Amino acid sequence: MMGLFDHLANFVGLRKKQVNVLVVGLNNSGKSTVINHFKNQNERCTDIIPTIGFSVEKFAFKNIGFTAFDMSGQDRYRSLWEHYYKGCHGIIFIVDSNDKLRIVVVKEELDMLLQHPEIAGQKLPILFLANKIDLPNSLTTINLVTCLGLDKIQNKPWHIQATNAITGDGLQTAIEWLTDQIRDIHINRR
Amino acid sequence: MSRDFHWLPNIPNIRKMNAFKRDKKEDEDGSNQFQNLEKTTVLQEARTFNDTPVNPRKCAHILTKILYLLNQGEQLGTTEATETFFAMTKLFQSRDVVLRRLVYLGIKELSSIAEDVIIVTSSLTKDMTGKEDLYRAAAIRALCTITDGAMLAAIERYMKQAIVDRSAAVSSAALVSSLHLTTVSGDVARRWANEAQEALNSDNVMVQYHALGVLYQARKSDKHAVIKLVAKLMRSSPKSSYAACMLIRMACKLVEEVDEGSEFLEFIESCIRHKSEMVVYEAAHALVNLGRSGTREIASAVSVLQLFSGSPKPTLRFAAVRTLNKVAMSHPAAVIACNLDLENLITDSNRSIATLAITTLLKTGAESSVDRLMKQIATFVSEISDEFKVVVVQAIRALCQKFPRKHAVLMNFLAAMLRDEGGLEYKAAIVDTIIAVMEGNVEAKEAGLAHLCEFIEDCEHTSLAVRILHLLGQEGPTSKQPSRYIRFIYNRVILESASVRAAAVTALAHFAAACPALLPNILVLLSRCQLDFDDEVRDRATYYCTILQQNADPAILPLVQPPQLSIPSLERALRNYVRSPMDEEFDISQIPPAQAIEEPAQEVLATVKPQQPRLTREENFMEKLLQVPELSAIIHDSILFKSSTVFELTESETEYNVKCIKHCFSDYLILQFDCLNTLSDQFLEDVRVTVDNQDIYTIVCEVPCVRLPYNELGSTYTVLKFPEDIQSTIITLPTTLRFIAHDCDPSTGIPDAEQGYGDEYTLEDLEITVRDQVRGTGSRNVDFSSSWENAATRGFVTTEQIFGLGANVTTLEEAIQSLVMFLGLEPVERSDRIKSGARQHTLLLTGVFRGGKEVLARAKLVLTNHVTMQFTVRSQDLEVAELMISSVG
Ligand SMILES: Nc1nc2c(ncn2[C@@H]2O[C@H](COP(=O)(O)OP(=O)(O)O)[C@@H](O)[C@H]2O)c(=O)[nH]1
Ligand SMILES: [Mg+2]
Repeated sequence: MMGLFDHLANFVGLRKKQVNVLVVGLNNSGKSTVINHFKNQNERCTDIIPTIGFSVEKFAFKNIGFTAFDMSGQDRYRSLWEHYYKGCHGIIFIVDSNDKLRIVVVKEELDMLLQHPEIAGQKLPILFLANKIDLPNSLTTINLVTCLGLDKIQNKPWHIQATNAITGDGLQTAIEWLTDQIRDIHINRR
Repeated sequence: MSRDFHWLPNIPNIRKMNAFKRDKKEDEDGSNQFQNLEKTTVLQEARTFNDTPVNPRKCAHILTKILYLLNQGEQLGTTEATETFFAMTKLFQSRDVVLRRLVYLGIKELSSIAEDVIIVTSSLTKDMTGKEDLYRAAAIRALCTITDGAMLAAIERYMKQAIVDRSAAVSSAALVSSLHLTTVSGDVARRWANEAQEALNSDNVMVQYHALGVLYQARKSDKHAVIKLVAKLMRSSPKSSYAACMLIRMACKLVEEVDEGSEFLEFIESCIRHKSEMVVYEAAHALVNLGRSGTREIASAVSVLQLFSGSPKPTLRFAAVRTLNKVAMSHPAAVIACNLDLENLITDSNRSIATLAITTLLKTGAESSVDRLMKQIATFVSEISDEFKVVVVQAIRALCQKFPRKHAVLMNFLAAMLRDEGGLEYKAAIVDTIIAVMEGNVEAKEAGLAHLCEFIEDCEHTSLAVRILHLLGQEGPTSKQPSRYIRFIYNRVILESASVRAAAVTALAHFAAACPALLPNILVLLSRCQLDFDDEVRDRATYYCTILQQNADPAILPLVQPPQLSIPSLERALRNYVRSPMDEEFDISQIPPAQAIEEPAQEVLATVKPQQPRLTREENFMEKLLQVPELSAIIHDSILFKSSTVFELTESETEYNVKCIKHCFSDYLILQFDCLNTLSDQFLEDVRVTVDNQDIYTIVCEVPCVRLPYNELGSTYTVLKFPEDIQSTIITLPTTLRFIAHDCDPSTGIPDAEQGYGDEYTLEDLEITVRDQVRGTGSRNVDFSSSWENAATRGFVTTEQIFGLGANVTTLEEAIQSLVMFLGLEPVERSDRIKSGARQHTLLLTGVFRGGKEVLARAKLVLTNHVTMQFTVRSQDLEVAELMISSVG
């Protein structure tokens, strides 16, 4: 029976839609930890080491298959993010809300991303995660909105969510928002 | 690359199988779907890689096209390659196995061209440690091509794990990759030696072999460690035949390098009784090539080869007879024992084996068997490939040397081969041999020239035609009937391409200059050439016509046939001259001769190399010296007169290794010291070699080597000014290596924060000899006797002395060799070759002393119980002449 159902689902167009998301942010902000959390329990890896270059990860949510390009956030690699802008359906931008020192660097990278020709004119949903809120004296989401100038973002739906990638707090709501946005913009419209 | 490709059809993937079948059908139609690919179109298609979701089938096809193009030699620019590379990285999102493996190949191909290729590091480390076995080994190989020195630390942990992985493919891939990575960082092998040691115990034959390779790499620079490694493995004897073969090679190296190497020799000999044929062959091959092998070792090796030559396996027969062929050169007597077996191989259906058998027999056989064997070869020479035809030609060359009386048979055979089909290399080998036979045997000259004339009538290789025309110009005029060659040469002017026509014009001019009787007719021919539509041909014809008409005096010969000077040096000297006030005449004697292409004298097996014009050794050095500002300030207007050979100032296997080259200029001597620091825990600075000048030479400057990290070659220079008194230039100077040493961490090479300390190290003495200051003139056809007779009129002085040569010189050959070696003068008129059995001989030498002072020398040698020599030197400079005389005594 299972086999038949699969087949039918395919036939009527209910097959899982595949979308690509780009996961960016400075190094050590928690990108790989976040993605790891989205994966099924049995596919998760136990020790997360700094990413060199990028890594392709897959997970599914609400009948949408996500292919996430988990980019390295180290200095040397940030200029290479742009190679992966083309053809992506959404962006997850992760900020270490405890790293106040580098918040200016975050702003700089974000501005560059938003001005990039492949991104500027596109109606792309951007999900901001204010990660590591468990640490004392973290910036609040409200702080971050002003620090990063999120309120000035035009033509792109965005959302900010405070998260703790270790426990997974906030991640569920966050990904739900992104999924709905992508479904609205890319899938239902077609 | 090919290894990965072979893999593909084995992947149990129905879709791939279908694709495979279809390809095959297309093949049958005779069309190759990749034949007319266009780079720009294919790269355009590669944009498909960016599409979501990935279509694996389509992408695999496009990627294959890209790989095909790259392997056809198509070049990509950096931007193209980088763009393609990044598009390809998107394919990591597909889980299609075939596609992923193609991506690895793409990474390897593009890794050296594209930028930022380290972007795939994490993706590859994930694959090499992941669950999919089909990925792991290939991912390791791709990873090592993108890893640079800075990234090495990041992958180190994974590589160490992979070396000891349970999967043999993974372990082998990691071991081989570590060897490749030594070019990125010298001590990778040493850092991973523990893991390699563990892998050496693997049950897998390949893993064991590769592990041994890494262990050797790790210890290579420490001879004692190598000895220990080899000695230990000799006892336990590796299970893997490949490893055993490698062990034999390592043992061979030790036998040659270590004084007490008898245990290694014994080990190699014991391998003759190994159960694997491969190992037995390796041991036999090693024994016959080792300088240290005695008759006993050679005999046991030859008996194994003899056995193999009767094997039903063609590969074994081939290996055996090929090796015997080589042994026949060095130990002909030992190979005679196999003659019967070799006779059986003459008719082997594998022509390569037959050829080698016959040529071996030719080397060992008696003069009487030559005709029979040559007939046998003639039956199938048209069936074998050019490569083996060259082997036959080389055997004939050796035969001509051995049996000069057989030259007629052999010459005819060569002429027949010359008429056959064949490529340039083959034809060039034949022509070389004919020329060599002519040189060695006056009787063969006329026949040889006739064959060559016939050959150029129908020769498709411009380079050969030009060489032969040149030879005709040199040798034809002194033949019995020079006029008969004119027609052959002039035919070239009518029928051939411009470069051949130009060579023919020059050859004609040689005849005209040397044979006055032919002059009027040749002038007519040359005047016709003045109408040629090629500039070079016309220029030459005009030039020769003018000088030949002007003057019918033999002194014009050097104008027709100028000495072959080094063009770059001539250009530099002329440029300097034009900048000078030009008060004095331009001194052409300062210009070094063009690099003579050294012919391998007796080495018949030497392969024929394409001969290309090249910078002389001195010109190459000069370019390097000029890049050092301190040196350039001193020498930029000078010409490098001569560079000595390289010699060691340290014993091998010392902490610091110093080699020296002496560069001689007319007033200066630059000492180039190439230094190597073999201590991984030391970083040297301000490295210099101080030379004790004995108050005779003036030290002009020292250029230290600023920093000398472990295992990198660095150079320091000392510039000396020659003393006025030429006699005192010959001297022995003590030298010392001085430097500031810093201790450093061997794994990173970064010096400790502490201050360095000065240290010094005594080197061997440095000798400055006559030879350093003298070189030949490089003009091949010097008329020695007229220069000798006319020397007085040109203001030369003569000095003479009689010597009895020491007890260690007992033959004329030795006397000639040591004299030429010692003085650095060049023998002319082939006077360094002596008739066998001769008891007296006259050696004629010419050369130039630094500063352009010409030297002529004549040594009359008589052999009684020892050798007596009357040695006469004529030179423009009395001091130089006396130096020659006094340094012989
Ligand atoms: N306390 C805390 N640590 C986190 C959180 N998210 C990630 N980390 C830690 O931050 C470090 C960097 O995480 P990683 O995912 O590698 O960051 P990436 O460089 O952005 O991929 C790791 O040691 C994580 O365990 C979080 O929400 N709270
Ligand atoms: Mg990461």
